[in-house]
Amino acid sequence: MAPTKPWQEKSSKPYTLKQNPNFRYQMGTTTTVNTAQSYSRPVPLLVIILAAVAVHGPLLLMQLPTGSYDANFHMFFASHYAHHWFDPWNEKWFAGFSQTTYPPLVHQWIALFSEVIGLKLAYMLVQMIAIVLLVVGVFRFARIWVDDRAASYAALVSIFLGSLAFLAYQAGQLATITSAALYLNALPYFYEWITESGGRSLVKGVAIGLAAAAAHHVTLIFGVFFFAVPVLWTACLDAHDERVSGSLFGVLSRSAVFAFVVGVGVAIVLLPYWLTMIQHPISQMPIPHDSRSNFLFSLPIAANNFLIPYGALILALPFIVLRGAASRRLIPLLLGFWMAVIFGLGGTTPLPRWLLGRAYEVLTYERFAFWATLLAMPLLGVLLVRLLDRFQTKGAVAIATCAVATLGAALWWLNGNPTRPTGASDVQPVISFLNRDGHDAYRYITLGFGSELSEVSTYTSANSVDGDYNSARLLPEMTHYGSAQLTDAKFYGSAGMASLRAMLAHANRYGLKYIFVHDPFYEPLLTFVGWRKIESFDGGAITAWSKEDVPPAHKIQSDAVPPAWEGLMWGILPMVVSFLAIFLELLLPEHRRSLLPVGISLAPQSEQHFAA
Amino acid sequence: MRITLPIILVAATVGLMGIGLTRFGRAHVGGTISVEEDSSFAALTPKPTTPELALTNLMTAVQRRDWDQAYAALSESSDIDKQAFIEDWKGSNGSLRAYSVLEGYEPHPLHITDDNAEIRVHIRFASPVGPIEDVRDIHFVREGDTWKAVWPKVHIATVPAQVVPVTYLKWDLVTGSSADLWGQKNVDSPHVRITSMTAVNTAEGAVVMGEVVNEDTIPAFVNVNATLLDAAGNSIDEETSFDKIDHVLLPKQVTPYRVDFPNVDLKRVKSVRMDEHATLVPASADPVIGVMNQKVESDVQGKAVLEGDLMNESGDIVNIPHVIASFYDSNGKVIWVSDGYVDRALLPQSSEPFAVEIPRSVASRVQNFHVVVNHYNMEGS
Repeated sequence: MAPTKPWQEKSSKPYTLKQNPNFRYQMGTTTTVNTAQSYSRPVPLLVIILAAVAVHGPLLLMQLPTGSYDANFHMFFASHYAHHWFDPWNEKWFAGFSQTTYPPLVHQWIALFSEVIGLKLAYMLVQMIAIVLLVVGVFRFARIWVDDRAASYAALVSIFLGSLAFLAYQAGQLATITSAALYLNALPYFYEWITESGGRSLVKGVAIGLAAAAAHHVTLIFGVFFFAVPVLWTACLDAHDERVSGSLFGVLSRSAVFAFVVGVGVAIVLLPYWLTMIQHPISQMPIPHDSRSNFLFSLPIAANNFLIPYGALILALPFIVLRGAASRRLIPLLLGFWMAVIFGLGGTTPLPRWLLGRAYEVLTYERFAFWATLLAMPLLGVLLVRLLDRFQTKGAVAIATCAVATLGAALWWLNGNPTRPTGASDVQPVISFLNRDGHDAYRYITLGFGSELSEVSTYTSANSVDGDYNSARLLPEMTHYGSAQLTDAKFYGSAGMASLRAMLAHANRYGLKYIFVHDPFYEPLLTFVGWRKIESFDGGAITAWSKEDVPPAHKIQSDAVPPAWEGLMWGILPMVVSFLAIFLELLLPEHRRSLLPVGISLAPQSEQHFAA
Repeated sequence: MRITLPIILVAATVGLMGIGLTRFGRAHVGGTISVEEDSSFAALTPKPTTPELALTNLMTAVQRRDWDQAYAALSESSDIDKQAFIEDWKGSNGSLRAYSVLEGYEPHPLHITDDNAEIRVHIRFASPVGPIEDVRDIHFVREGDTWKAVWPKVHIATVPAQVVPVTYLKWDLVTGSSADLWGQKNVDSPHVRITSMTAVNTAEGAVVMGEVVNEDTIPAFVNVNATLLDAAGNSIDEETSFDKIDHVLLPKQVTPYRVDFPNVDLKRVKSVRMDEHATLVPASADPVIGVMNQKVESDVQGKAVLEGDLMNESGDIVNIPHVIASFYDSNGKVIWVSDGYVDRALLPQSSEPFAVEIPRSVASRVQNFHVVVNHYNMEGS
């Protein structure tokens, strides 16, 4: 591992390897040490990666994310790229929509892998890569503030983060995880560039940053405030206190250069996305989301959005706040963490709504809790060092117990969450029905299918007027009522049912002939508005309904169809930046910094006061 | 900074959470509608020191389906047991109320004294067939330093087991292939005819309405579509009768229909193209639902309504009755079509009241009316 910088938060017991100036990442090195020694040195990065694979690999091989909210959505997008790489116009949802409304990188990687291992395994593989990148990113990000030992502990426990398990296995937010992972890996290069002006750092930081943007746009936008600003602030402090070679002016000017290059790059790489957003800004009615609720009024929502994502990290919050405030250099990190926590509380506090305005109603806030836990990792690493130094084996057992309990609780919550909509049990008969006897000449919707709507859409040749991506909707029946997917209409109350009624009223217009029902709640409506039950599947769990006088579906004209050149850009540039990032990492190994002139070490003065 | 900053952050967090509890800090759009019972954080419920607070606590508990807390908000003088109270809100027998979720309410205090209060509450339920409105006058009394609701006794019909002979006509379809889909039988369509059509302008847009008759000797499944055309013959809008029609027509049966064109001004319309589509379906005259005691009255809000009772003359429960009424002027012309759902199930040989609204502009011209009853029955009920 790289030598500890003098300003980094140090372990109270310096480890011997640190004194070797030629020490590199100890990939797989085995050394016989006693227990005390083993607790006083960093965990090799290879071990951390293997631990991540060991913990999450089996869960992914079990295809646990397939039951999540968004995994099928990502696979649906990927499936389209696998068949139409350069044509982002997808007829399967909303009577046609553009996939340029969502950054494509993770979907395109899934599409690539799916050619070899199939769609679901490709998703799992990309998810595994994202998790590995995340723990590596946590390690590298934490090293901006703390020494290698604390950073390695932070990376190790990040494998067990409740928020990570929540996003991976319940929310299925693959793009958010991937983008955050890439972002964490880009920021150390950003720090190195602005403090030491290394050209390699600039190139690699920009490439990885662009890849992060190509994976998820929201992470890019908010990552600037929650991640990049603390790093910049810290770099300014380091420059001001002469802990780095660059001057304060140099730090700021190089930051501007970095921001400009990344800004231009993102504008180009995601140009079709920006054009789509300019042409059709998100102006639909706000859609309710539990993460926008006041958590104090509902235990399931509080558990879902706070207790489960933070897990045992809640126990460390006092230390994180006190330790973060004790060191001037850690204050930017602490404030970034605090802001992310407040945003992660959604509607519990009014601050997100005040700061975001209209955008507040568009965003969901579970991702902020994820970012908050990532921002807490460096400080948590310091705490773990303290615990291990003081309690040795007992401390290790306690830490391991907390970590496993946090991950275990998140996995238990997959079934324990009482508000989680249940999807259809077996959608294969629905897919078969739509794919036979010319039924795909008409459009269809599902009711009560949850995220299985995306699975049906992925494997059928028929098109739907519904879909599982709110920002891509343009049909007035869906945008005017403040509800999300038609398949979950009842969860949006009168607004949801009004949207569904509007769509059913225009069934003839859209060629909407078939409705698949997995919730008897909708049957009275269908009966009264003229649909008749025609078939049952899965022992009556799913019923098919039809309306007689519906003409075959025809293409709905839309001004949102992207031109061919946008399709080419969309199919080429995101993959190019990700390949560029990979090759730069391989071809330009990390620059080994020599120890810089000794600055002011902030650790000792505070460690005595806030030992755990 | 070492101590100051943590204090500031903790204080800011607590302060922001406190503001979040106030009306000023509350989000406009919260979560989705919960269909689960949720009694968490009941301790945050404020003490009902006013009738308004007592109402808020009661309705919040009902909204969360926290029946313990909701029942605890009732006065001991209430003449209702807990099960009946729950059934009053949750419905039973697969009725529309059983599918509904309390979505919101609007209180209108009628009078408040030191010890008694009367609050009229406009209650809005979300249901499968759209929002359902209900109006209740709730009486509150002071008990010590708190206010509680006095809930009236709820009449829950209980029907003893009985044998009801079924002598009604029933039409079944005998088809050659089970693979035939409904509506694709290799037989001629039943002959149905639109007997009247009227187009009027309303505040919400244009409305086309009238009546359809099944002139055949077999049952028909009917949909009515209407297309508004401008002077050049171009289509302005196309809509269907949706749920404002009784889709299943027995031989010689007549149903009203109404097609709404929101935000369309009739002045732009040159002609209307009507299209009735009929398909042969199996049907039965059972259950027979009688309509009794029909009369035009004013409700508690002063609106004109057609009231009456629905009598279930069959031996099966009718889960969700749907009333469609056509109103005629002195010339026998259809001048309006209204519909409404009954949120209580019709038990065998029992009756339930119904009411459908009549627009103020139409009420004075109504000379006659005709009511048909559509229904939804759960399988196995």
